[in-house]
Amino acid sequence: MNWLYLLLSPVDESMDFFELTTDPIDITNVTRRVVPPECGATVTLDGYARRFTKDKATGEIRETLYLEYEAYEAMALKEMETLVERVKGEFEISNVGIVHRTGKLDIGETSVVISVAAPHRKAAFAACEWLIRELKRTVPIWKKEVYADGEHWVEGESA
Amino acid sequence: MAARVLFFGLTADIAQKREMEIPLEAGLSANGLLEELRQQIPGLGGTKLHLSINQKFATGEEIVRDGDELAVFTAVSGG
Repeated sequence: MNWLYLLLSPVDESMDFFELTTDPIDITNVTRRVVPPECGATVTLDGYARRFTKDKATGEIRETLYLEYEAYEAMALKEMETLVERVKGEFEISNVGIVHRTGKLDIGETSVVISVAAPHRKAAFAACEWLIRELKRTVPIWKKEVYADGEHWVEGESA
Repeated sequence: MAARVLFFGLTADIAQKREMEIPLEAGLSANGLLEELRQQIPGLGGTKLHLSINQKFATGEEIVRDGDELAVFTAVSGG
């Protein structure tokens, strides 16, 4: 790579990324990796493991001890790539980073980070909300909540 | 002729396995294959299931071909 080219290139087209990891996610790293020179704002969603969950049907509040996420990795990465392509077609944004963790997560640990960098904040907020909504609908990852007295695979909204 | 079927999350727990091979008759649809699976694994009967074929979401109308990779799962719940 020619350094002069790097310095003069106004937009690096290769800054988008989407990944699965079993390691803890470094949120600041995800947030900074998406920032190109023409941007003024990055919106980052930090989704993490919730301790208390209200049952939508019964209203009962259950305490979760930990979560387990499982991914159909090959398909999940394809669906994440599709989301990145679609979101960049719909919103005035520059770069997107998505990292989803799998395996066992303790309460409070980050399960998903989505960072969207844009010239202006409004599009970044809208795109980030769109991405998490679509990710929860279309990316083949499943969450199991483990309680003191049992466990439950959560069913999301249908794709 | 055979297809590979993968299970994830709840379906893996119910099937007590992560994958299996299913012999195919010519012209079998994905829904037809799902019916065969429900007969082989009765625990899947009461669950709303979704399908993918070769890592793309499927409607069930598709004809399953030799060597296809199917997956059977409940509504995704990442995030």
